[in-house]
Amino acid sequence: MIYPMRTRQLADATGAGTAGLENVIEVGGLRQKYGDFEAVRGISFAVPRGEVFALLGTNGAGKTTTMEVLEGYAPATDGTVRVLGLDPIRQHRELRPRVGIMLQEGGFLGDLTVAETVDLWKGMSEDAGRPVTLSGSTELPGGFTLMGTRIRRVDRATMGALELVGLEKKARVKVKQLSGGQKRRLDLALAVLGSPEVLFLDEPTTGMDPEARRTTWKVVENLREAGTTVLLTTHYLEEAERLADRLAIMHEGLIHTHGTVDEVVATSGDMITFRLPGTSWTFGDLPALDGVAPVLTYSGGGTEVGYTLTGADTATRAHAALRPLMAWADTRGEALERLAVRRGTLEDVFMRIVGEAGL
Amino acid sequence: MRTDVLHAVRLARIDLTLVGRNTTVLFNVLLMPLLLAAVYTSFPTGDIAGIDGELFVLTGVPGLMLAFAVFINLVNAFTARREELVLKRLRGGQPSAMAVMAGSGLSALALFLFQVLLLGVWVHRAEGVLPANVPMIVIAAALGVAVFGLLAAAFSGLTPNAEMAQITVLPVLLVMMVAAPIAFPAEVLPGPLAVISGLLPVTPIVEMMRTGFLGADHFTDGGEQLNMIEQWVAALPSIGILLAWVVIGAVLARWLFRWEPRHG
Ligand SMILES: Nc1ncnc2c1ncn2[C@@H]1O[C@H](COP(=O)(O)OP(=O)(O)O)[C@@H](O)[C@H]1O
Ligand SMILES: [Mg+2]
Repeated sequence: MIYPMRTRQLADATGAGTAGLENVIEVGGLRQKYGDFEAVRGISFAVPRGEVFALLGTNGAGKTTTMEVLEGYAPATDGTVRVLGLDPIRQHRELRPRVGIMLQEGGFLGDLTVAETVDLWKGMSEDAGRPVTLSGSTELPGGFTLMGTRIRRVDRATMGALELVGLEKKARVKVKQLSGGQKRRLDLALAVLGSPEVLFLDEPTTGMDPEARRTTWKVVENLREAGTTVLLTTHYLEEAERLADRLAIMHEGLIHTHGTVDEVVATSGDMITFRLPGTSWTFGDLPALDGVAPVLTYSGGGTEVGYTLTGADTATRAHAALRPLMAWADTRGEALERLAVRRGTLEDVFMRIVGEAGL
Repeated sequence: MRTDVLHAVRLARIDLTLVGRNTTVLFNVLLMPLLLAAVYTSFPTGDIAGIDGELFVLTGVPGLMLAFAVFINLVNAFTARREELVLKRLRGGQPSAMAVMAGSGLSALALFLFQVLLLGVWVHRAEGVLPANVPMIVIAAALGVAVFGLLAAAFSGLTPNAEMAQITVLPVLLVMMVAAPIAFPAEVLPGPLAVISGLLPVTPIVEMMRTGFLGADHFTDGGEQLNMIEQWVAALPSIGILLAWVVIGAVLARWLFRWEPRHG
């Protein structure tokens, strides 16, 4: 997978001057209990302005619980949370107009059309002093009655919101007739309508087809470019890898590792693998590389050899290990069949954490 | 504050749109009380409390309307919207908790006043009577919606899902239909029951409505004509009882109302 990681980080670095180091989201020692059960067991992280931060984790990790504390749905059992420097519960009134929320699951008024739903949200945003600045390419005429229902005009701002998420053709469809993925997209449109400074997205692409998922990613990327701070949860590694400036892997209420994708992936180690003919090789025959002994498995008359390099110099450790390996092969007169060097992946790290913690 | 009002009005308008699109709700909310009124008035009665029996019953019908258009309607709406996570979404959006509740209350008030208007037309056609004190009718309606809106919020908290709403509203509905002075004056109930009936929130509303329509004292058994000032003075105890119920309703709603379904 190749993503434009580098260019993005450069763009961030240039924008960082004006934004300073202000943290838009701060979580310190957060614990959250439901009765006796502790769903979040003491986590801390901070998200600076303009960053996209992903909470990556399996179901039940505590992601939604964390989000809902930040959104002001429930007070923290213990620890502190701040959004834009404000307390999500005590300063809810001040915070509300500046925040956009896409819940993991939130209901719609099924008898309203898609356009009416956006109109309602748009109106409430305007009432709260946050005009909607989106503008679509067309508007839909209204002022007539169709099958007993009054058809209202759909203005450009509403069409703009629908175009943003690719729902413009559904403007006059009742919300209850939308598919799960389409509802998610409507959800996203509502969350971003009032140009929020902070956006909470709880599993934004779950239930979407690949095309809708790509549309959603594009929306998030555009928002980031516009300076919006985004906290998103996902269990799709690809999504976190593509969208997140930084991510945290959460499991059973704890954050096990966090950092940029590169930093997190670096903790998984580089892999060197090859095959030797014959099954008489033992682990004593092979050299240690970077202080690491190989793992041997035998199959089909050959020996598969694998090293996982975890040296501190993440950039050059694979290169440094290859030299003694080649020297060893030359002395023994062996050819290393199917020699491969590969960097660890986010999946390696993820599986290690999920596995270690007992799954 | 201004934002809250704007939000509440916007939500109320949406509520009314939705009522118009749902035939079940439309029937329950608008038609049901009028049908009941037709049934109540179809029995031949002599004079009640010094006036024609049909006129007496018709001017008590707002008590039924309050049960259907406000109480049952709102218990259903609050419960269904909570279970469908609509309330959760609204609370995560721009409107405050107050604005969401006020929006529902406003739409219920609009429905209720519309029905009272229909009733006024009916009373005028059938009995040739024009309402004597419209402000009293409107104030009674507003207080009634406040009390029963809050009670509906509280009862929705006791209602696990929209289907169960039919059952949880039943006790309140029965009390409202039996103990309220709709078809007979409260005074004909045996001693202690009359006192209890007088303290229930529906009784002062019915009595204010009846007095508002007829300009006569229907707070006591009397039924004698009163001038405007006398009407308001006579209504003071009723208004006091209703204000007390607003406080009780608010406390109950605070305690029992839930924004989200119970987990698991
Ligand atoms: N309202 C609740 N009451 C009791 N337990 C809950 C509640 N909400 C979530 N949980 C439990 O808390 C844990 C974390 O849930 P959640 O935050 O939804 O995880 P995630 O979003 O990462 O899937 C789960 O074990 C879940 O069953
Ligand atoms: Mg979740």
